[in-house]
Amino acid sequence: MSSVALRELTKQYAGNAALSLDSVNLEVAHGEFVCLVGPSGCGKTTALRMIAGLESVTSGDIEIGDRVVNDLSPRDRDIALVFQSYALYPHMTVFDNMSFGLKLRKVPKDEIKAAVTDAARILDLELYLDRKPAQLSGGQRQRVALGRAIVRNPAAFLMDEPLSNLDAKLRVQTRAEIARLHHRLGATMIYVTHDQVEAMTMADRIAVINLGKLEQVGSPRELYDRPANQFVAGFIGSPSMNFVPMHVESIEGGIRVVSAGGDMDVILDDVESAMIRSAGVSDVVLGIRPEHIDNQPRSGRGLQLRASVEVIEFLGNDEHVHLSSGSHELVAIVDARTPLTIGDTLTLSASIEAIHFFHPETGVALK
Amino acid sequence: MTIDAPVKESRVGGGLAKRLHLSKAVVNVILALVAIFWLVPTISLLVISLRPESLFGVSGWWKVFTDPSQLTFGNYSTIFSQGFATGGVLDSLVTSLEITIPATLLVTGISSLAAYSLVFGSWRGRDMIFFGIVGLMVVPLQVALIPVVQLYREMGNLFGLNPYGTIPGVIIFHVAFGLPFGIFLMRNFLTGIPKDLLEAGRIEGAGEWKIFYRIVLPLALPAIASLAIFQFIWVWNDLLVALVFLGGNVHSPLTIFLYDQTRSLAANYWIVSTGAVVSIFVPLIVFFSFQRYFVRGVLAGAVK
Amino acid sequence: MTSLTAEGLKVTAPRARQHGWWRRNWVSLAFIAPGIIWLLAIVVYPTIATIRFSLYNESATKFVGLHNFASVFSTDTILTAFKNNVVWVLIFPFFVTFIGLMVAVLTERIRWATAFKAVIVMPIVFSTTASALVWRTIFDLDPHVGVVNAIEQTVSDWFSTPGAYPLNSAIGQTAVSLASFNATGAPGGLLVSKSAVQPGGTVMMGLTRISSATLQTLGAKTPVAPQTIAGGIAGLVWNDFSPSQTSNTTTIVSDEHGLPNLRLSLVNSTGSSVASTVTNSSGDFSFSHVAPGSYHVEVLASNFQTSFVGTFWLGSQSITPTSGLNQTAQSLLSVPLIDLAMIISYIWIWAGFAMVLIGAGLAALNREVLEAAEIDGATEWQTLRRVTIPMLAPVLTVVFVTMVINVLKVFDIILNMAPGSSQGPATTLALSIYNDGFTGGIHSGVASAIAVILFLLVVPVMFWNLRKIKGGSP
Ligand SMILES: Nc1ncnc2c1ncn2[C@@H]1O[C@H](COP(=O)(O)OP(=O)(O)OP(=O)(O)O)[C@@H](O)[C@H]1O
Ligand SMILES: [Mg+2]
Repeated sequence: MSSVALRELTKQYAGNAALSLDSVNLEVAHGEFVCLVGPSGCGKTTALRMIAGLESVTSGDIEIGDRVVNDLSPRDRDIALVFQSYALYPHMTVFDNMSFGLKLRKVPKDEIKAAVTDAARILDLELYLDRKPAQLSGGQRQRVALGRAIVRNPAAFLMDEPLSNLDAKLRVQTRAEIARLHHRLGATMIYVTHDQVEAMTMADRIAVINLGKLEQVGSPRELYDRPANQFVAGFIGSPSMNFVPMHVESIEGGIRVVSAGGDMDVILDDVESAMIRSAGVSDVVLGIRPEHIDNQPRSGRGLQLRASVEVIEFLGNDEHVHLSSGSHELVAIVDARTPLTIGDTLTLSASIEAIHFFHPETGVALK
Repeated sequence: MTIDAPVKESRVGGGLAKRLHLSKAVVNVILALVAIFWLVPTISLLVISLRPESLFGVSGWWKVFTDPSQLTFGNYSTIFSQGFATGGVLDSLVTSLEITIPATLLVTGISSLAAYSLVFGSWRGRDMIFFGIVGLMVVPLQVALIPVVQLYREMGNLFGLNPYGTIPGVIIFHVAFGLPFGIFLMRNFLTGIPKDLLEAGRIEGAGEWKIFYRIVLPLALPAIASLAIFQFIWVWNDLLVALVFLGGNVHSPLTIFLYDQTRSLAANYWIVSTGAVVSIFVPLIVFFSFQRYFVRGVLAGAVK
Repeated sequence: MTSLTAEGLKVTAPRARQHGWWRRNWVSLAFIAPGIIWLLAIVVYPTIATIRFSLYNESATKFVGLHNFASVFSTDTILTAFKNNVVWVLIFPFFVTFIGLMVAVLTERIRWATAFKAVIVMPIVFSTTASALVWRTIFDLDPHVGVVNAIEQTVSDWFSTPGAYPLNSAIGQTAVSLASFNATGAPGGLLVSKSAVQPGGTVMMGLTRISSATLQTLGAKTPVAPQTIAGGIAGLVWNDFSPSQTSNTTTIVSDEHGLPNLRLSLVNSTGSSVASTVTNSSGDFSFSHVAPGSYHVEVLASNFQTSFVGTFWLGSQSITPTSGLNQTAQSLLSVPLIDLAMIISYIWIWAGFAMVLIGAGLAALNREVLEAAEIDGATEWQTLRRVTIPMLAPVLTVVFVTMVINVLKVFDIILNMAPGSSQGPATTLALSIYNDGFTGGIHSGVASAIAVILFLLVVPVMFWNLRKIKGGSP
């Protein structure tokens, strides 16, 4: 096991003017579980394939342990990659699939057997060792792919959306399995996913990528509580954070931030007022997570808004309520027992701690 | 993009790129040599046909690269100056076309009809018939030669029309041995056409024939193109069938023309090479204009 | 069928149904009719007729049982055909598949793949007749016609320059056969003077059978008797043959010629060379300052270095040892060189086919599996051998089997590429059918028997095909 570091890592594919990865810096500590998340096409797979050695480096460095591995071919990097399509060898049995890498390294037969048996036990594959991949279910194939990686005992595990081909139930199950595996092996893992729930539940830290750029790295809590910018704020959390452009007004004793129609306003305390003054902006974007909107009027400082109910989505324990406030659309999560009907006009609020402000042009969080 | 970006790239990415580059260079060299090896025969044929007859056997054709003044169209003008006289190259060219074009049209037409019936018909036993036809695909045509000659003679006795030794006789045989592959290819293509399209036609009151040529044929054009090109090249290049069924005819296709000339190779080499260039000219044009369809035909021909 | 009523019902109901069936299906049946009739008449019926012909005599008038098959297996020319088909089947499909695979794998890494593929595929569209003619010149014996022999000559001249007096190995000439007066052959293909000589003495060596063309090219002059030199050895080497006095040997005659440009060496009594020299245009030579002792003069073997004789690629000489075998064993065991030449030509024709098919197979592979192998630590070669090829196995089999069928029927290339003298040794089953059945009138017996055998050979493939299609289509 060892650490992995990306330094100013940049990738430009031939025939593609845009940079698929743009000066990414990321340090993954020994034994750490890091998730790469971001919208489709942001460069997650590219980053992973570059670490694996399947794509050449345009500029920057990749370090595994304390070696710069830019020039090493995949087989010399001592990493394992679990592909989204599993990429099992269709003509080999499960046993041969898992042992192929060891055989190539000329590991003695009995050691191979021990390693494969061990991995098969961990992954509950003992009964299937003689089968070909075509005779396995999706979940079993997925576990074989994991097994192939485990057997090798690599310096780092790279996984590219390994669960995306599984159905919802199996996905939850396998997610737990991978988490357990991580604890058990203490392995360094870089895990690409679309699914923020996967990222939030498994990762020690999450790296959010957008358009080839690293937006923020941090623990799930950090990303949720203190998103560095509007993109991260909107990407982490479900349903996403509501954003409303607001105008900054000076009032006696501080600052008031108000929406275009005046249906929403925030009364700030001194600390926040100072913060917005120091940013020197007359407009801001307000961010509020749906789960932080309370169905009651404001008491003291914080946000208050008047909105009418447009759509109610019943989810069992709670409801997602789509609201219209002036010309703005918002979503709030309320207790399912709250009696609401479409067309109701509500007065809602949120505490000052739950409110985020972002720069109107750069989207950077104001602190 | 900063100015130093490229410099950085060459420094950092240099090693791997260089290594890949090296093996890439090796691959390029190997394939270039293979390509040259593959081109030499064609080039030699072309050059020999473009060098004066008197130089053949005196110096190698490759001397033309050091002395390009050897090139001349003399052989071609000699050959073409005979015009369409019986026994000449142009006469053979016409004969080849007279055989190939009808054989190609018949095979594509009959195969399309048969495949339509096999795919969209509702009579029972369609699968059995299809499997039978697939079985015929590998039957060597040598198996049928002698009985068909006899059959042609019988036809002569019965109806006074003996196709043996005539162009129709060759065509009939070629069509028969083109059909199994033709039907196979067309059927495979037509099974991909949704039946709903035909139902729509039926609802509008179109008859089978109309559905066939208004709906199915236009959709099947790519497959028809593949089949036609394949069949064209196959018949154009045939020697055996023509030898057996057209051996005594005064008009002979190009392959027989070349074969006859080779039997006196030393004397007539300039005719042979010039005639060979003429004979490969037509399929080459067909190949380069319809390469995609040709390749598709090759792929379809190999039973999956 | 027992009661009348049941009978009546049974008859009327299907009739009504049948009527409807015809109405519904006649167009569809009319569509397939031409194809079916055509195939029945020109493929199915003749195949059956051929089986019948194979059991009758040559004019198809008398039943002879398996007699034709017996003669197939006891006729040397047909056994030769079998043998050649086996040679083709053993060599050709393997190499075509292998080359197709290699080329298909390598083309994935070049930018000019489209052009490259076009070059390789192109020969498929040529007629085999034209291709055979092209390759016939390429393999021509004359280095002024055939590229292969021209290359062989260049290479051979590179390694051993022919001497000024090349021996004609075609008529079995050796250096010894040139010796006439005071000259004898020695090991290593050189000539040595018979008599010993001391410093101050002279040597005369007469050779013979040097062609006048060679003498003319070298500018040979009338020989001059050698003059003694003090402390040295002088001598003459000449062509000891006078057109005017044909029986006069051992002495110089005015219409004889000295032999110029001969490389000589002076050898002492222990057999080691002490000096070397070259004859002048009159054939004279001298060694000066020779230590006392007894010497011989050697004419070096390099003077007689054989000139290049091309390889007769289109000939029937066997590349397997067949000496001491009887006729039948020879027809079964010899592999004529022309088989190889033709197989090479045929590979040139068909490699494109293999490449296209295998290339399509490669394109359909899951790239990530190959990358997984790379990550697992496989080198490119290991990936190819242990992952790519096994995954391509179905395509490779199709290519291989198609090529086997193809060479079972191989015909045009032999007819057009083999010169008359090689046609017999290079013949194949398909060519035998043609020769036996159609040259000099129609003879249906043995030709049909061979055709039936050919047919039986492809029957397994017929079923293999059917199984694949049945398995593949819903
Ligand atoms: N081989 C390639 N050549 C050119 N551009 C490429 C290549 N591979 C990827 N790209 C581009 O690089 C960008 C990043 O692609 P990448 O596959 O890394 O995205 P991703 O984040 O993994 O997306 P997804 O979540 O959909 O898998 C995309 O814009 C893509 O179009
Ligand atoms: Mg991806």
